Amino acid sequence: MTDVTITPLTLVGAADAAVCEGDFCVIPDHNEQKVVNRKLDDNNI
Amino acid sequence: MSDAIKVDIWSDVQCPWCYIGKRKFEAGAEASGIPVEVEYHSFELSPDTPVDFEGNTVDYLSERKGMPKAQVEQMLERVTGIAKSVGLDYDFDHVHQTNTVISHELIHFAKSKGRQLEMKERLLKAYFIDGEHVGRIPDLVALAVELGFDEAEVTEALESHRFLADVKADVALAQEYGIQGVPFFVIDGKYGVSGAQEADTFANVLAQVQSEKEAAE
Repeated sequence: MTDVTITPLTLVGAADAAVCEGDFCVIPDHNEQKVVNRKLDDNNI
Repeated sequence: MSDAIKVDIWSDVQCPWCYIGKRKFEAGAEASGIPVEVEYHSFELSPDTPVDFEGNTVDYLSERKGMPKAQVEQMLERVTGIAKSVGLDYDFDHVHQTNTVISHELIHFAKSKGRQLEMKERLLKAYFIDGEHVGRIPDLVALAVELGFDEAEVTEALESHRFLADVKADVALAQEYGIQGVPFFVIDGKYGVSGAQEADTFANVLAQVQSEKEAAE
């Protein structure tokens, strides 16, 4: 990105998506739920 | 068809969501059918981490955050499960927690050769899947040589730190954009997407940019 002109960004997407800030990575609740659902599926529940 | 859409991605080698987000972005871009030109940018999540931290991710987070080891293990298990859902076999038991600044220098070296994407992928795999060290120059040189780079040239580049200024410039640019966490995607220089979003989100924003470009033509 050479000679970049910074323009204010329009933020799109889910506000609670998983990110790492500093040395800590947040795990959103909905992702946990997906894992739970996948485990239930794996167990044919 | 318009030209490829530029996507600038801020990411760190030791960021679990960055690798997961990379896979989700790739899936979204493929589903959209829209050509993209990807450029990775350096972001240091924990620049004060020692190169040779003794211990794995559980030790690091429990020491650093004061979290009980059982809680950290449970958290990493959840992340491992999410990684698995996008085809990545994370192995936190063998992760070498380290300082990633030189790995970012290596990514910039590879970029100077037009091979940044290969190097980025190899470093993420080395860290999260293969349990390889990505903080020490000899280990990084070995990874680069494995990809076919010249050993002497890579060694000189890393030992001289001639790409360190590029790493710091990326970090400064992130600050200008107001980026506080990674992964962070800047699409066509105007849309910001924060975090490991679902593939559909990336496909939708690429389609939006594509339609805007076509309307402007």
